[in-house]
Amino acid sequence: MTDLTDRPAPTVDSQRLSDLLVQVGQARDRAAFRTLFDHFAPRIRAFLIQRRVIPAMADDLTQDVMLAIWRRASSFDPSRAAASTWIYTIARNQHIDQYRKAQRASRMDETDPSLQPAPAPAADDLCEQAEAADSVGVALEDLSADQRQVVELAFTEGLTHSEIADRLELPLGTVKSRIRLALGKLKTTLGEMV
Amino acid sequence: MTQRGHTLDDAWYLGYAAGSLASEAETVLVQSHVELNSDAQDRVEQLDRIGGVLLDRMPVGEALPFSADELLEMADRSDPLQAGESVSDEAANVPDALDGVNLPPALAQYLARSPARLKWEFLGPGLRKSILWRGKDGERLWLLKAQPGVAIPHHGHAGSELTLVLKGSFWDGDQEYRRGDVEEAHEDVEHDIRIGTGGECVCLALTQGKLRFESPLLTAFQVFTGL
Ligand SMILES: [Zn+2]
Ligand SMILES: [Zn+2]
Repeated sequence: MTDLTDRPAPTVDSQRLSDLLVQVGQARDRAAFRTLFDHFAPRIRAFLIQRRVIPAMADDLTQDVMLAIWRRASSFDPSRAAASTWIYTIARNQHIDQYRKAQRASRMDETDPSLQPAPAPAADDLCEQAEAADSVGVALEDLSADQRQVVELAFTEGLTHSEIADRLELPLGTVKSRIRLALGKLKTTLGEMV
Repeated sequence: MTQRGHTLDDAWYLGYAAGSLASEAETVLVQSHVELNSDAQDRVEQLDRIGGVLLDRMPVGEALPFSADELLEMADRSDPLQAGESVSDEAANVPDALDGVNLPPALAQYLARSPARLKWEFLGPGLRKSILWRGKDGERLWLLKAQPGVAIPHHGHAGSELTLVLKGSFWDGDQEYRRGDVEEAHEDVEHDIRIGTGGECVCLALTQGKLRFESPLLTAFQVFTGL
């Protein structure tokens, strides 16, 4: 892990993103939306690709999420959530929605090699890629490597807790206790920061 | 304050926040609980912040096949009425069988999406059940309706069982479970349930294996009721 001070400065800081989202919500500000689009749309797409969503569907979903951001921006409350948190929940919910529809229609062939995701970056790489050393990022880095790994496998690859146990070749109980320890620690760290 | 036993294991909140729960039934139960329980909401809000940070840190690869301006043109063209959420319409449509139960939005939307009509079946004296979904590994998402004061005899579980209170309350030993509380019973747990005397109790449950009753008579009851 690198020292936090070695990190590149964020290109768009979280306060700025929050302000832009408020401008979209209050004034239908198109220029603000373009900046948000440039920042978030490629990240949402990359996030979905890592979650095994096929590229064509990832494009459609990213479009849906960005449209939802444009339409629902007035419900964003900057005192309650960071822009990235609010946008993450929209992306997550749309993904669940889409997964549900896809599950009803037909099951994706998981063995198709073109559908296999790129291996997830190791926990330490994710630290390197951090562009903003904000409080939540710091809290995440405060976890032990084992604890961070279970949290990241759930988010970045969308693995269920039993899939995480299979992947790490650990008993389910061990995975669950790592999750409990990780979340307990995050609760303490994040609680102190509020 | 979180009371021990009235919220779920953290693995469920992580799964919900990450959008990685194993089935729609799990999502419906956990989301309904989160909508009704402020401790659970706090937990998920913290995890959503983690999700936001991980999204923000995604390495950016390929260019997108559409631009912000194309998207805005698309938004301009679409009917603003159609663009609105249909969620509130769905939620308003509560089945007659659940008259008098204030449903959490996640469950109301799930019931609105499910084509089957909800109906109550006999489960035991003062007990009714309604199966909403059966999974391929024997999981069931179901509703329980119980009259005040009814007891569910001593039993164990072949798998885990999550029970979310939607209306009324029940007791397990000296612990009372009220609206929004959830009891997570594992395979190795045996318990007696007593419905609170304050009124009818309605719960949403997700069960993995069959219940195991101690007495042969109750085992016969189990075969009869299909639990
Ligand atoms: Zn016993
Ligand atoms: Zn039980």
